[in-house]
Amino acid sequence: MTSRPAPQLLALPLALLAIAVFFAVKEPAFLGPRNLTQLIVEFSIVGTLALGMFMILLTGQIDLSIGSGVGLIGGVAAVLVFQQGWSAPAAMGTAFIVALILWTAMGTLIVRQRIPSFIITLGGLLIFKGLFWLVIQNSTIPVSRGDQENLYSRLTTYYLPSSFGFALVAIVLVALGILTWRSRAARSAHQLANPPAVRAVGQWLVMAAATLGLVYFFNHFRGVPLSLVVLAATAGAVYFLTQHTPFGRYLYAIGGNEEAAVLSGIAVNQVLVGAYVLMGVTVALTGFMTTAYSGASTTTVGDLMELDAIAACVIGGTALKGGRGTVWGVIFGALIITALLNGMTLLAVSPEIKFIARGAVLTLAVWMDVKLGRR
Amino acid sequence: MSDQPSPTPDLTNRSLGLGPWSFEKPLLAARGLTKKFPGVIALRDVAFDLRAGEVHALCGENGAGKSTLIKLLSGIHPHGSYEGELLVDGRAVAFQHIRDAEAAGIAVITQEFALVDELSVAENIFLGRAPRRGLRIDWLEMNRRAGELLADFGLAIAPETPVRDLGIGQKQLVEIVRAMDKKTRVLVLDEPTAALTGQEVAVLLDHLRRLRAQGTACIYISHKLDEVFAISDRITVLRDGASITTLAVRDASVPLVIKHMVGRELGDLFPRRSGFTPDSLEPIISVRGLTVAPAKNSPPFLREISFELRGGEVLGFGGLMGAGRSELLLHLFGAWGHRAAGEVTLRGAAFSDPTPRAAITRGLALVTEDRKRYGLVLDQPIGFNLSLSSLPQFTRASVSLDLPAEHVRNQTFFESLRVKAPDQRARVGGLSGGNQQKVVLGKSLMTGPTVVMLDEPTRGIDVGAKLEVYELINRLTAEGKAVILVSSELPELMGMSDRIIMLHEGKIGGEFVRADFSQEKLLAAAMGRRAAGAAKDQGPRTNTQ
Repeated sequence: MTSRPAPQLLALPLALLAIAVFFAVKEPAFLGPRNLTQLIVEFSIVGTLALGMFMILLTGQIDLSIGSGVGLIGGVAAVLVFQQGWSAPAAMGTAFIVALILWTAMGTLIVRQRIPSFIITLGGLLIFKGLFWLVIQNSTIPVSRGDQENLYSRLTTYYLPSSFGFALVAIVLVALGILTWRSRAARSAHQLANPPAVRAVGQWLVMAAATLGLVYFFNHFRGVPLSLVVLAATAGAVYFLTQHTPFGRYLYAIGGNEEAAVLSGIAVNQVLVGAYVLMGVTVALTGFMTTAYSGASTTTVGDLMELDAIAACVIGGTALKGGRGTVWGVIFGALIITALLNGMTLLAVSPEIKFIARGAVLTLAVWMDVKLGRR
Repeated sequence: MSDQPSPTPDLTNRSLGLGPWSFEKPLLAARGLTKKFPGVIALRDVAFDLRAGEVHALCGENGAGKSTLIKLLSGIHPHGSYEGELLVDGRAVAFQHIRDAEAAGIAVITQEFALVDELSVAENIFLGRAPRRGLRIDWLEMNRRAGELLADFGLAIAPETPVRDLGIGQKQLVEIVRAMDKKTRVLVLDEPTAALTGQEVAVLLDHLRRLRAQGTACIYISHKLDEVFAISDRITVLRDGASITTLAVRDASVPLVIKHMVGRELGDLFPRRSGFTPDSLEPIISVRGLTVAPAKNSPPFLREISFELRGGEVLGFGGLMGAGRSELLLHLFGAWGHRAAGEVTLRGAAFSDPTPRAAITRGLALVTEDRKRYGLVLDQPIGFNLSLSSLPQFTRASVSLDLPAEHVRNQTFFESLRVKAPDQRARVGGLSGGNQQKVVLGKSLMTGPTVVMLDEPTRGIDVGAKLEVYELINRLTAEGKAVILVSSELPELMGMSDRIIMLHEGKIGGEFVRADFSQEKLLAAAMGRRAAGAAKDQGPRTNTQ
């Protein structure tokens, strides 16, 4: 429902194509299976975080603390595994609960004390950074003990066996088919017109071809990355939440007109805290993945990721003032941001230039948001 | 006519020869002013003139066109956005901006102060034109000159005082001082005494008389007719955007002015069909001694409000702007104020700690006055807005939305309210005022309320849409729902209500049953004058048809 087809609808794939062509011309390895797999893992990390940020932005709020939070939560789990000898699931579970507590507290502060989220989360950025460095004692903490692999370390290095990848996609496709069929049946039961069956079947076939093709491609190298499954599951959950639950409607309503939302009987405070708690969930997931991807928790893990997440959302058409945005847009935005970062790394662009490029992209995206937002 | 004559003549001080009868050229004149807004004609062929050394009052109901006229005179609505001409000293002028009007000597002082709280009185007086020495502000010179000006006005305020430390009356006077220092010849005062105490009003009026004696002309807008009669030389009455008449105060009386302000035919514009059988039903909502403050430790704004409402009945609330009508509705709905005393009972059960959510659950619905601000998510489709308050109705296992069921319900409302749009996916922000109002109404009605509170439901919508709103009110009462109707338009209030309560400064100024409705009585009650014959008894009343 909700979002109108934004002008970005075609712009996003075109931008992505342009970026891909540019880097592929400069460095053919960009489109090689090794780099693409790496890119997909990085995309999963940024995308998951951006999906959490998406729900915050929908309400017109912001969260600047998530980059530090990503480092902190990953660090907590790493310390528990490496120094305390906990099992990876127990360590990650504990760190997950820490994230939930921190983000519930921030959300509650924002709604109860009416302190702007910008300030609270800016404070969070610094506090979490300090806590993070305290927790890891400014050192490098591996995510596993000895050379043993565990669930934590394998988050970004595990690839689904080829048959398993196909099986998973098949299950998802069947589930999608059933859902579509049921929704059509429900519409018919209410005497509502359905789009022609041919179209539904066609869409499903395209989806099937695309996903199966993707799996086939990944299987040629190492298989479907586990992190991509995490992203897909997160995206599915966020899509369901925002499009099929009252909670999601309320996110859009609060961002669109908070006063009207209050007078429409929406428990605005609860919804906002809920959005921050969900942000905490994605921060924890991202924290684990990005720390695992680095192989260890070090002081720079998570740096500036909040800006990548915001950029991904805004590039994807999410309005900073709230009330507008789609999950698909966020996914595309994350893909674009990741492709840029990955491509620059591949070309061995110096860190100075990378900072400037990142800043320019963020600024450009926000500028476009402002231009389009004024309509 | 039950009004006593206004107790004014002894207060006026019209000793100067420059009365309404001087034949000199008017300082300011308006000829055939017509101002159209999309869908509304705010002013039609208005004529008005102002002579040096007179105080000329503008009177009219809310929405009669007073503010629009002021905005034309002061350049807020630029030349070219209206028809007709404005003359200053007999020459046509074309103000493009407030600055142009100021340059011509016209200054407007409104209820919202244009003072910067954080700056001193002197800084405010010389804001944007501070005396300088080189690049620096000459503070000594500024404070000296400000001190002189204040002394001229007989104001015992130190120039260095921060404006935030001043009372409202003093702020008003500082604004006038500032305006006078800008060589102002025409001072426009828009409801200058709305927030002043009696003492401050007297001080203000004294200053105005002094300015008049010095030849300054003044346009004075006030709902308080006592003041108007105390200070003015002439009164121009506006109604529905037209200048009805201009009277010399010595020929006028309060009842006469009120008559001109409201004089309008009540035809079949208001198709009220009462579906109300009062004695057989328990009240759906009953309010006893309700006293509400804006915030916890502030003085109460609504005081001692009591009323009952039964199913099938329309209770109208009238009163001047700021009398507390909207605040009362917002408070009942749990969206405004701190309840200092009193109780609200819904169908016999106390409703003591209201929130909008609880109110909706208990069967209250509120359609707010400012639909764009409080009613709609403009960026979203019609359907999104219609079901926004009712989503719990459509959840399966209290998690996921039954979208088809929601769509069908939205469609029912979309069609029965005859919203003019291609379909329910159209953006609400693109609809006309009347259609937006239908969406807000639909949103409220979908929650299945038993008490529907409508705050200015027909403001800014065209006649056809108004009729549809009235028909909807009839439909609601026929279904046994109770309706509270707040309106600034007396004919509408009288046409659609079974009973009317007029509020005056947060209190009940009078309660009337249909047989007692008359514009004069209602307006008198709204102005805090108790008209004879106003129904005051609170007991069960007979059907008034």
